[in-house]
Amino acid sequence: MTEAAAALEHARLQELLAAFVDDELSANDGGPVEKHLRTCARCQREVALHRTLSRALSQEPVPAGSFRLRRRIEQMGPPPPGRNERAFMAIRRWAAPALAAMVVFGVGSATLLLRRGDTSRPFAAIPMLRDAVADCRRATARNFPRKADLGALAEAVPFPVHTLDRPDAELFSTWKTTLAGSPAAGLAYRWRGIVVIQYTVPGDVIRQQPDVGEALSISGYYASSQLGQGIVAIVADGSGTLLMADVPADELKRLIL
Amino acid sequence: MKAELRRARFQSATLHHLDRLVMLASRWTDGHEAEDYVQETYARAWGAFDQLRDPKATFAWLCQILRTVATERHRTRARRQDLLFITELEAAHEEIIASDAPSPLDELLARLDAGRLREALRSIPEDFAEAVELHDMHGLKYREIAEITSVPIGTVMSRISRGRQLLAGLLVRDDAEGVRKEAAVGE
Repeated sequence: MTEAAAALEHARLQELLAAFVDDELSANDGGPVEKHLRTCARCQREVALHRTLSRALSQEPVPAGSFRLRRRIEQMGPPPPGRNERAFMAIRRWAAPALAAMVVFGVGSATLLLRRGDTSRPFAAIPMLRDAVADCRRATARNFPRKADLGALAEAVPFPVHTLDRPDAELFSTWKTTLAGSPAAGLAYRWRGIVVIQYTVPGDVIRQQPDVGEALSISGYYASSQLGQGIVAIVADGSGTLLMADVPADELKRLIL
Repeated sequence: MKAELRRARFQSATLHHLDRLVMLASRWTDGHEAEDYVQETYARAWGAFDQLRDPKATFAWLCQILRTVATERHRTRARRQDLLFITELEAAHEEIIASDAPSPLDELLARLDAGRLREALRSIPEDFAEAVELHDMHGLKYREIAEITSVPIGTVMSRISRGRQLLAGLLVRDDAEGVRKEAAVGE
């Protein structure tokens, strides 16, 4: 091995030393690290450093939470009636329109029910997402409103509209619409050769959606992919933002999280 | 009766993590507010308890909820990256590793008061500190940390590696500064 190649290999293995100490390397990576450690004093010192600090941190005392907090948690009332029940009612309420929508939109919409990314509920069973999918189709079929007029949009909806803070996303169209019975702002961007649609709605509307509300409460975001279409939702500063495009939700997360 | 059983199951699965969650919450805020975060975490966890599939992952699940609560309340919190000169800490780490002399860390750690190491950890950039704390102090696996923090496992690996290096640099730098100050006072 040349000196340059050895230096590169040293740099690569050095990156793995913490994981080696933590027993988090596969055998494939662990073997070369062990071999390298036999001859590299510098990496031996680095391993010792990781071991020493990791051990010391694991021995740090855990301060006790207060008795009052424990009591408050033990005496918490039953969980808010509901989320699951509300979701069930929502499904029932929207079942008929959802089925009707599927007939109208044909096989394309029906296939949305077949596969789910992060959670099990299809878009068509979540009123806001179902409406967003339908609105997106309408906007696409009409080739989108020609102008991007943020001033007019801000006046038309009773909540702040924040655009994506990404230099590589070009806003080219805006419109007002309705999602799940609530006014919503629609924005279309060109991003890396695809069209990304953003909907902004009041934060509480997005939180009321089955699955979406639960995901926001647990993870801070909702993300799901169905047949190549991804949807990501977050709530920030009181406004709910929904992003959708023909890419997996993981790709969209990069735009917004 | 069913509700009581559910409550008992919830409490036995989650309450023994309470102290660790308060400790984690104090990364973002102190005292009563940290306990408020934890209470909110338990309220959300109880509402979603039926979604917890793997009881072994209870702590990681609670950490994820706590992180969401903290992020919601601290959307605009300042990042600590610029509070310290990272390059200075990297140079201090480099000195430890480059030298053939015995590492000063063992002796230095033996002198530290209980809780001081945790404080020091909170002085390094937050992404690194969080990964190191979740792994070293709370025993989570890299995979679990990746899920909680929504980053790839390779990023967790590099954050833990770099986090410990910066922490070592910080401890050594602070110790050297302390010695210098004492010497100045003595003169």
